[in-house]
Amino acid sequence: MAKKKIRKRKAVTSKKAARRKAGKKTAGRKSRSRSRAVSSAKRKALGWRRYLRWRIIVPALIVLGLVWVTYLDVLIRVQFEGKRWALPAQVYARPLELYAGEALSPADFRQELEWLGYRYRYRADEPGTVSRSEGAFRVYQRAFQFWDGEAPARRIDVRFADGRIETVSDTETGRELDIVRLEPPRIGGIYPAHHEDRILIKLDEAPLQLREALVAVEDRQFYQHFGVNPRAIARALWANIRAGGAVQGGSTLTQQLVKNFFLTNRRSLWRKANEALMALLLEWHYSKDEILEAYLNEIYLGQESSRAIHGFGLASRFYFDRPVQQLTTAQIATLVALVRGPSYYNPHNHPKRLLKRRNLVLEIMAEQGVITADVARRASQTSLGVVKGTRTDTRHPAFMDLVRRQLQRDYRKEDLTSEGLKIFTTFDPRIQQAAEQALSKRIKALDQQRGLHGQLQGAVVVTNTTSGEVLALVADKQPSFAGFNRALDAVRPIGSLIKPAVYLSALEQPETYTLSTALSDTPIRLKGAGKDIWAPRNYDGKSHGTVPLFVALVHSYNQATVRLGMQLGFERIADMLQRLGAGREIPAYPSMLLGAVNFSPYEVTGMYQTLAAGGFRTPLRAIREVLTVEGEPLRRFPLAVEQVVDPASVAVLVSALHEVTRSGTARSLASTLPEGLSVAGKTGTTNDLRDSWFAGFSGNHLAVVWLGQDDNQPTGLTGSSGALRVWTQLMKTIPNQPLLPPATDEVEYNWIDSATGLLSRQDCDGAAYLAYIRGTAPEEHASCAEAGDAGTNKTIDWFKGLFE
Amino acid sequence: MKRGKSRISTGLLVLALLSGCATSTKAPDGFEIEPASTEQPRVLPDSGTNKAALRLLTQAQQAAQAGQLDVAEARLERALRIEPRNAALWYYMAKLRLHQGQYSQAAGLAAKSNSLDKGDRILQADNWRIIAHARYQNGDIAGAQRAQQKAAELAE
Repeated sequence: MAKKKIRKRKAVTSKKAARRKAGKKTAGRKSRSRSRAVSSAKRKALGWRRYLRWRIIVPALIVLGLVWVTYLDVLIRVQFEGKRWALPAQVYARPLELYAGEALSPADFRQELEWLGYRYRYRADEPGTVSRSEGAFRVYQRAFQFWDGEAPARRIDVRFADGRIETVSDTETGRELDIVRLEPPRIGGIYPAHHEDRILIKLDEAPLQLREALVAVEDRQFYQHFGVNPRAIARALWANIRAGGAVQGGSTLTQQLVKNFFLTNRRSLWRKANEALMALLLEWHYSKDEILEAYLNEIYLGQESSRAIHGFGLASRFYFDRPVQQLTTAQIATLVALVRGPSYYNPHNHPKRLLKRRNLVLEIMAEQGVITADVARRASQTSLGVVKGTRTDTRHPAFMDLVRRQLQRDYRKEDLTSEGLKIFTTFDPRIQQAAEQALSKRIKALDQQRGLHGQLQGAVVVTNTTSGEVLALVADKQPSFAGFNRALDAVRPIGSLIKPAVYLSALEQPETYTLSTALSDTPIRLKGAGKDIWAPRNYDGKSHGTVPLFVALVHSYNQATVRLGMQLGFERIADMLQRLGAGREIPAYPSMLLGAVNFSPYEVTGMYQTLAAGGFRTPLRAIREVLTVEGEPLRRFPLAVEQVVDPASVAVLVSALHEVTRSGTARSLASTLPEGLSVAGKTGTTNDLRDSWFAGFSGNHLAVVWLGQDDNQPTGLTGSSGALRVWTQLMKTIPNQPLLPPATDEVEYNWIDSATGLLSRQDCDGAAYLAYIRGTAPEEHASCAEAGDAGTNKTIDWFKGLFE
Repeated sequence: MKRGKSRISTGLLVLALLSGCATSTKAPDGFEIEPASTEQPRVLPDSGTNKAALRLLTQAQQAAQAGQLDVAEARLERALRIEPRNAALWYYMAKLRLHQGQYSQAAGLAAKSNSLDKGDRILQADNWRIIAHARYQNGDIAGAQRAQQKAAELAE
């Protein structure tokens, strides 16, 4: 291995000599004189050959050489100019707001601090540290530039009680603080095709010690040479031969920089020669300071999974979790040691090796007068102090994909990968984690249970019901796998998920339809898309005769729904879907009424968002704000609200969708969710059990789950036996608020008999608590309720009425 | 207050944001959005409003005072994330949009505020005034008059 390297170096120098002979303008003095000697010897030889050589071959070679040099010149300058300030956009999760009364457990808080890379200390004495004292978390929070101002670095005490924040106070003054915002966890960057990341530093921001150490260790003649250093190459060669291995490199900083611009693993003489040539060209165009600055930001210093760590700014953050200005002498020496081979000296895999090299660097620094021998000796005694697992980049490819797509509407790709934009998203890592775990775990179990040979896949979208902010997005049962984004791109028939739109189209006309309106659930034959006759059947194969409207929705009866849809007309239903936010053309044939329309989970979420928000459409958003690299506000994506359906009609529908989760197709929720957590939702199942859907919401979260196979084969799962399981698991683990009835007094709530649609009583069998636009509720009583008090009880709280 | 419709002074916004002064703007052609009265009752956040949300509301006011409407907007959104069912917060947001000249958004937010309110007639009346104003600006004169009528009924 070592021998090979030496041979290569030798070859490099001889190759260089050969190129100089060929007439390169940059040739050194020595070679020029040598070529003169050679030519005088040849002059005595054959005349015509001399003619050929001097008049044709040599000029041709000179021209070729010049063309080649020009080409390299352009190449290296484009690289230098282009890459010097190329910064990927930084993408952040939502910042956690801390305030008294917030539902946040100490465990959640600890997790957040871990995502932010906070370190536990006996005393929290610098930004980024935390300590525990007297039952409180004492956090020294880092400063951060937000859209609406800077949060200063300061020490706060956070106390918890009963799964909530009890108080947040200023450590110094002890004063209670109304609200404190932690800096947001970074969830990734938007990189060019090759995964590079960096934190730029200016030359004068780099510690003097670092600059001097680099020159002392890597290239002592840096300020004297013109790009390459033949003497250093020769010396390195000699040192390496003597030591029997590669102990010294002969590349100048400029050559190393060039090499970094064109990182490939191929080591060839031709490349080496080109590198040397480009180093000369760089020196020709740029000053030493410019080159050193580029070097500081460009040099490859490590790897974190697929992300390359370039430059001392990022490496300082990555290995020591601090800005480069705050590095100690020992830490500077460690980073300089890594230059020689970030994987060979990987601090996690080869700490001893790195330690040895670091101490060698310290020795050289002392020898060259960068530091005193005393400082070097003391620094040598410290441990490496490399922090483990600063999560500078977590893996959420599906959400990052969504962010990228939303950004690409407004920004050019080049700006995203080079301007260092700061992107503040709506991403909630806590909810993402819950969604990922729920999906992976349930899919694994369901897959085994149905014998699907690992083919079952799925997607989850979670949003905030009022703001339309996308909190989590999962697109694969292996969430870190960046492949097909099922949440955005798996466009599938939605089955019964369409029914709320059908029923809302009816309920919007309260003078004609209420939840008690009688529908006929009997066989029906219609002309389908072609000439076929379409005769939809119910899932249980039975027809249920005359049923109240809400029963048809709650139990998802197909025949009653189709009859209702035919009364309403396709146009009205298609229009409703558009108002809810469908954004896709809706086909006008009967099977549409049962969800033979294709949507992605994300699109379904957009439509249910309008229902969850009480008839107000809010476009889903994944991005809140964009700031420039300097922290200047660039662009906001504000909350937008448009009323598209009468809120009272939506309240009526939602009361029936709540009944779905009590006695309907999702009745399992009544026993699996925590008591008091009222929710509403709808199951969806498509032909031959190919797609399993559930869309549902609590007071604050809307979640849509899809399960299916990528090749569209049957899964054996209905909405309730598949997607609902994932949904339940997810909702159980995130902080939910119960669904509340609307404040408006336009609707009233009544206990209604499921068999007749007439007034009932809470204690009667099959009674459902449903909403009616004031004045449209039935007036007659069902037999059970006749005897006692009237069924209406307008004073009781909706929520209390159900659970107390 | 004879001014261009989009150029409403920051001072008015500040009044609008927290003092709850109604949007008493006389439209150029004489359509009266409401009587020019400064004696409008004030819309205040509910007494049960979370302290964190109140703090953000104050900070939003400060930003508006300094003319930083987009900062005010961001802070109001933060407050709404804490208390999404607080009708007063939605109302302030609607007012902010009105002053930013985003009339359709203002109307949507005012309607949202009303859908969450539990019987605060002052707030509801002011929301209807916002809707009236927004409809007028969007050229829906009849709709503006209907909304104005509702505001008047509620204010009685």
